[in-house]
Amino acid sequence: MNVIITENLSKTYDGGKEAVKNLTLTLEQGEVFGFLGPNGAGKTTAVKLLNGTVSHTTGSCRVFDIDPMTKPEELHQISGVLTEHAQMYDHMTGLDNLLFFGAVFGLSAGESKTRALGLLEELELFDAKDKRLSTYSTGMRQRLSLARAMIHKPKILFLDEPTSGLDPESILSVNRMIKNLAENEGVTIFLCTHQLRYAQEICCRYGLIDDGIMFANGTLDELRGLVSGGTTVKIKTDTDIHEIQVEDESEIPAIVKRIVNEGGNIYSVSTEKPSLEDVYFALTNKIDPARGGASA
Amino acid sequence: MINSKQAAIIKKDIFAIVSNKQLLTALIIVPLVFTVFFPTIFILIIRFAPDQVNNIEQILNMLPEDMRTGDMQTTIIAFLLDNIMPLFFTIIPILASSIMAASSFVGEKEKRTLETLLYSPLTLTQMFQAKVWASFVISMAVTYASFVIMLIVVEALLLFAFGNMILPGLSWLFILLAVTPAMSLLAITLIVRGSAKAQTMEDSQQRSVFLVLPIMLVIVGQFMGIVLINPWYLLIAGAVLGAIAALLMRGSMKKFTYEALLKR
Ligand SMILES: Nc1ncnc2c1ncn2[C@@H]1O[C@H](COP(=O)(O)OP(=O)(O)O)[C@@H](O)[C@H]1O
Ligand SMILES: [Mg+2]
Repeated sequence: MNVIITENLSKTYDGGKEAVKNLTLTLEQGEVFGFLGPNGAGKTTAVKLLNGTVSHTTGSCRVFDIDPMTKPEELHQISGVLTEHAQMYDHMTGLDNLLFFGAVFGLSAGESKTRALGLLEELELFDAKDKRLSTYSTGMRQRLSLARAMIHKPKILFLDEPTSGLDPESILSVNRMIKNLAENEGVTIFLCTHQLRYAQEICCRYGLIDDGIMFANGTLDELRGLVSGGTTVKIKTDTDIHEIQVEDESEIPAIVKRIVNEGGNIYSVSTEKPSLEDVYFALTNKIDPARGGASA
Repeated sequence: MINSKQAAIIKKDIFAIVSNKQLLTALIIVPLVFTVFFPTIFILIIRFAPDQVNNIEQILNMLPEDMRTGDMQTTIIAFLLDNIMPLFFTIIPILASSIMAASSFVGEKEKRTLETLLYSPLTLTQMFQAKVWASFVISMAVTYASFVIMLIVVEALLLFAFGNMILPGLSWLFILLAVTPAMSLLAITLIVRGSAKAQTMEDSQQRSVFLVLPIMLVIVGQFMGIVLINPWYLLIAGAVLGAIAALLMRGSMKKFTYEALLKR
């Protein structure tokens, strides 16, 4: 089932900035979709468009068959949104913040509490639950925001830069949580990030956006198919480490035989497919050679 | 009319103001000045040093015959109680609702918590209704509590200073039931209308000057040439102002969009 459908969705802000241009996209239920691009690419704007908190200039979009523009409140009941600027209340404790948002989403006091305590436990905030939010570190705030976005068991979760401010250990547990939600509970995840390496760890499909334009979209293998240069083979001999590009793995035995026949000793052979990062830069160079592809 | 999701917001907003020491202090001190400090000074001066008020005879002469029932001092007190104090008193709901509305609307924007709230399953109108209610409830609670405290203090003082109590007139009934709710609503409307533009709570609170200033002018006017307040006019004024506030509020709610609210 397609849970997000957009057609030529565009947003021009009041000042004239075209933040999203002709975005056409579909997302299936239970997908972890990575929406990737540098700062200012238009990711946050896309999340806001999909939740009806900014109005689109042209095009159309539906999320769970709801038009976010006309019925945002209906959509919000089933979507969870984490954005970089959405804060919670400093003077309230972590737990009270979650209980408040539970009530706002229509949970009973009992449901709210069970759900909040479970999430606090899962996100390793249980010991800090009775401390005021003003005493929380950036990472703790981010994790509490994640709990808040999930308090009402949303069917779709929008995560805008979910790992910003998190230490590597928290990133691992957040990843586990996201994967579990998608695989076991069928929650659809729309994840925005500029950290390509991170995205590769948990997403199953990607949309690459720059300057408001989504210039590629597909699984990693599909994206690899768009760029030349297949697998890299690394062969360590007693004199050297060879890096050889092959189009297909079937070419490897012949290369190994040749080195051995020429009298080389082989210590290890490994293959490496281009990473998401490699693919991303190959693609951005292709559409805009002047950029040089060094920044992300 | 109010659903459980809105009730959660009302509760949260009220709790926020009660747990903020600075705002709570302002909410308590200002009413105390108007309801305890001023009347106490008036009553004590009139009782113990009437000669200090240099135009007391003039004021007295300006009053109509039927008001000059008792002795000079009780006449003056009755005049102050029913014609001057109500004016001071109407400033209380204006200040209380301005403080509360500024914190509830602009404060949330300033602290970036409004954006989080906008992803809630409430329409913008429902969210605004909840916030208006929170401000209104706090404002009226402060107003009515101030009235009770004022009544106790003034009557106790009168009993102590003159040996008898002078009960407030009919005008107070209309002040409490019509004028103060209308003033609260007007002040909230003023803040709400400015909330999309205002970036800080202080900016926003200052808008209440537009309401306090005219009242101050009337107070000054009262001391220069007396206008006796007809209680029934108060009822009418309250109803008219309340209707204006309600209409303006409706108008501004319709204009709000998520984008306008989040603009900084
Ligand atoms: N409210 C706004 N008004 C005008 N321009 C905006 C607004 N929000 C974002 N932009 C601009 O739109 C572009 C895309 O921003 P954004 O969606 O936040 O990108 P990202 O999330 O990918 O970093 C940027 O150039 C940004 O400056
Ligand atoms: Mg962003």
